[in-house]
Amino acid sequence: MPDEFLTPVLGTVVLWFLSASAAVTLAGALASASVSPRRLVRRPAEGFMLVTRGVPTSLLVIVAGLAAMPYPPPGWLPNPFPGTSSGMTLVAWAVTLALAFGSTGHLAVIFRTGYRAIGPIRLEQLRLLGLGAVDRGRIVVRESAKASLAPTGARLVHHLHNTGFAALFPVADLFGWIQQRSHETFEVSRFVAIGVTAYVVLSLLIWAVTRTLEARLGAPRAPGAVPRPAPQPAAQPAPAVLAGSAADTGPSGAP
Amino acid sequence: MIVDLLIGLPDQRPGGLLLSVLATVVAGGLAVLAGMLYATACVTAPRLTLAVQGGLAVLRGVPLLLLVFALTQLTTLPLLASGIAALFLYSLSHVGEALRSYLAAYPPTLREQARLLGFSRPREWATLRVPWTVRRSLDALGTHWISLLKDTGALVVIGIGELTTVARLLSERTDTRGWLLILLLAAGLYLLVVVAMTRAISFVTVRFARQGL
Repeated sequence: MPDEFLTPVLGTVVLWFLSASAAVTLAGALASASVSPRRLVRRPAEGFMLVTRGVPTSLLVIVAGLAAMPYPPPGWLPNPFPGTSSGMTLVAWAVTLALAFGSTGHLAVIFRTGYRAIGPIRLEQLRLLGLGAVDRGRIVVRESAKASLAPTGARLVHHLHNTGFAALFPVADLFGWIQQRSHETFEVSRFVAIGVTAYVVLSLLIWAVTRTLEARLGAPRAPGAVPRPAPQPAAQPAPAVLAGSAADTGPSGAP
Repeated sequence: MIVDLLIGLPDQRPGGLLLSVLATVVAGGLAVLAGMLYATACVTAPRLTLAVQGGLAVLRGVPLLLLVFALTQLTTLPLLASGIAALFLYSLSHVGEALRSYLAAYPPTLREQARLLGFSRPREWATLRVPWTVRRSLDALGTHWISLLKDTGALVVIGIGELTTVARLLSERTDTRGWLLILLLAAGLYLLVVVAMTRAISFVTVRFARQGL
């Protein structure tokens, strides 16, 4: 039983990890393109975001799965999906890609909103600092993450739930296992309870990782939360230059 | 073919896009009503409703696919009713929490104004607090309804003839060239409805904002 249960759980985790990684990467690129001043870059990115947000993941998975089904997997294609037969590797990769597309548009909008939350003045400050593109990008990602981590976590939980669509094809995952075992044993409530527990635990893990990252970045705990007051100058003496800059920017850091 | 995608297969009507929209309206509408009751209960008696709040939090961690499957297998409801009940529960778990947070954020100044005008508590809730909450949460509700329309595709696991299921059945019946066209048409229909819903919600939100609501 443990092995029999662990394989589909691992299958779901692998599907989620690979597709979420692809979605986050693609969404980052799309979000960057969608704030470009060049219309030729911005418009296609916005169009792609609209399409991936408007088409259900279930349909994307069906298209990808049906497209990959007739073809044998090429020899060089790895099979990292536990429980999925080697003959279905191409279908599993196609489903992974479809799952990634299903979340890309949503994540891109979240990232773009986080970027805009930094504000034009702060962005101008970063530009004037004369940092290289990589360093500036790192700071922008870090600062926008404060606003975008919570919705990203929520979307990644939804993304985990969407991995269940893999069960429409012979790709091993938790939801497919629950369906199969329920039909084989007629112990539906038992396997549904196991599935609910597993999905809730996995969702909690994603939520916990997001909250830990939020705490590390010092993000507010909830939208509209009041930021902690800045330390009093008397309690924490600062050099003259820093004290001056603090006076310029005010307690919340805003100019 | 396009007719089948719009209103369902001849022996399963209403189906297709029409059923997807109907399921969204019924499940989403009931979820808003129940969500408002839940939010009211949570704001007026937060400690008494802790168990319900915990239950909804757990429900948010359960995939819609699993809810659909569980309700179909564990209840004696007809397939369509099970599917809509699953959509309702899923929607309630999200909408209820959004309404609760907005209802709790009702400004004390408005409450004070209602008191000065001599409004009774039920009248204040009916004429000020609930409309204020609905208007403020319209953006979040709109996003959720769009998501719910797309999530009706989860009913494909129990074979209810909504748009995704019809598209899948039609694509399986056609040759290798036709299936992609059918699925692309279905995707286009979803996209059209999503764009229309987005525009409608933006229009209403902007209108409320102009009125200062």
